[in-house]
Amino acid sequence: MDIPFLTVAELGRAYETKELSPVEVTRALLDRAATHDGKLHSFIRVTEDVALAEAKVAEAEIMAGKRRRPLHGIPYGLKDVIETAGITTTGHSKLRQDYVPREDAEIVRRLKAGGGVLLGKLATWEFANGGPSFDLPWPPARNPWDTNRLPGGSSSGPGAAVAAGFMPVAIGTDTGGSVRGPAAFCGLAGLKPTYGRVSRRGVFPNTFTMDHCGPLTRSAEDIALVMQVIAGHDPADPSTEDCPVPNYRAALDGGVKRLRLGLVEGWHEGPGVHPDLAPAIAVAVAVLRQFGATIEPVKLSSLRDYTDCKTTISLVELYTIHEPDLRTRPQDFGRILRNHILAGGLIRAEEYQAALRWRTALAKEQMAVFQRVDALITASARSIADIADPDRISHGIGPSITQPFSISGVPALAIPCGFSRAENMPLSLQIAAGPFAEATVLRIAHAYQQATDWHRRHPLLA
Amino acid sequence: MPNDLSHLPPASADEIRLLVKRAGLDLSEELLQQFIVAWPEYEAMVRRIPRGWAYTDEPAHIFCPIRVGGG
Repeated sequence: MDIPFLTVAELGRAYETKELSPVEVTRALLDRAATHDGKLHSFIRVTEDVALAEAKVAEAEIMAGKRRRPLHGIPYGLKDVIETAGITTTGHSKLRQDYVPREDAEIVRRLKAGGGVLLGKLATWEFANGGPSFDLPWPPARNPWDTNRLPGGSSSGPGAAVAAGFMPVAIGTDTGGSVRGPAAFCGLAGLKPTYGRVSRRGVFPNTFTMDHCGPLTRSAEDIALVMQVIAGHDPADPSTEDCPVPNYRAALDGGVKRLRLGLVEGWHEGPGVHPDLAPAIAVAVAVLRQFGATIEPVKLSSLRDYTDCKTTISLVELYTIHEPDLRTRPQDFGRILRNHILAGGLIRAEEYQAALRWRTALAKEQMAVFQRVDALITASARSIADIADPDRISHGIGPSITQPFSISGVPALAIPCGFSRAENMPLSLQIAAGPFAEATVLRIAHAYQQATDWHRRHPLLA
Repeated sequence: MPNDLSHLPPASADEIRLLVKRAGLDLSEELLQQFIVAWPEYEAMVRRIPRGWAYTDEPAHIFCPIRVGGG
């Protein structure tokens, strides 16, 4: 068995039949990371002792017939803005390089209760926002498909680590596309759940009103398995909704027959878009149509509008989070994040309020569309992964194809749908549905992945 | 119909310095220079925000008292 590239579902079955054990898998993945991560920088910290201890406990429980599905004995990693009791949580920043939380984030508590095995804390853009930056205490992560390229961000380490075969699942955070972007650039599945579906308590904030935690995995099926563990109401996180968590795995097999899908016009084609992207999306749509979905064109506001609205709100909220450090130690931030925070400090209250009113209008536009279609289809990124260039300072506020669903807070999933011809880099499909319709999104993605093998491809590390 | 402020001229370097000062921020000349280079892109973005919303156009964040207590 090719342990590094087994899915969560496959590992679970191998544990069930005793073909593999959690300790054996954990040891193999730690060894692989030790061999290859020097080129990828996906880890901030490997938690080897914790991992082996948790794997031994999981193994003993499984051997004793005390199986905690579906993540029991499954290795995972955490973006390093997610707090872990007794383990440094840096935010990939000089400002917190020695910060050791006393409590686990709620999502970590749930993963531990589910029997997960923590392999380590993973690279991020600074505080899940400023990057890619080359002026931080740790280098930016690299893309396993081409180490001259970046894995996207801000969940850069989670994207790189899962794609490299260091772990089958990593938890990232997504404010404007920070799970879906790395998933797209690294050939993975990545879900931004509905705002309020997964607790953010104990996760360093970026934009209070748009922060989400979400998983990156190899398949839609694995996303469903992880969501079963991490989703649900947290009374201590006022953003979470107290509504039932469906059986995501059971919902996967519904197929797409008679589903109405809206293909968004104009977002994944035109200037600035990789020339192989629109054809890849067209082929993916043809696959879904072949299995019985009906497709109709949908027109929404421009990406420019969505991005302007999202970024204005984000920058102001970002400033409120970092203001004390900006006043006392501005030189300790990376240049990109510092400029973002400064910009947030210059945006006036009426401009923030105008953006909030715009957000309502833009979200209503999408909700109206979800009255007539079950899901929206577009790309997850308009380009392939960028070349890593320390001399290129980008503040990243150009039109983004992930941010429309950050504005509306609805679930949106990235899955691979091909590769660029010249560069052999992943291309990605994005599927979004109405609030709390994660099961619909995953069902469509699973049907697509039953008919294609893009998610089965993985990079070869030298 | 909302309109925007994108017709306004970009702020000069001196105006950006003044904005930073009025925000009460004290930056070294090096960091200030980096920000002066970056600000025009942010400024253009903020000026594209539609203005002139109707009184009935509610912002996205609505205060919900029941949630304040963690309910």
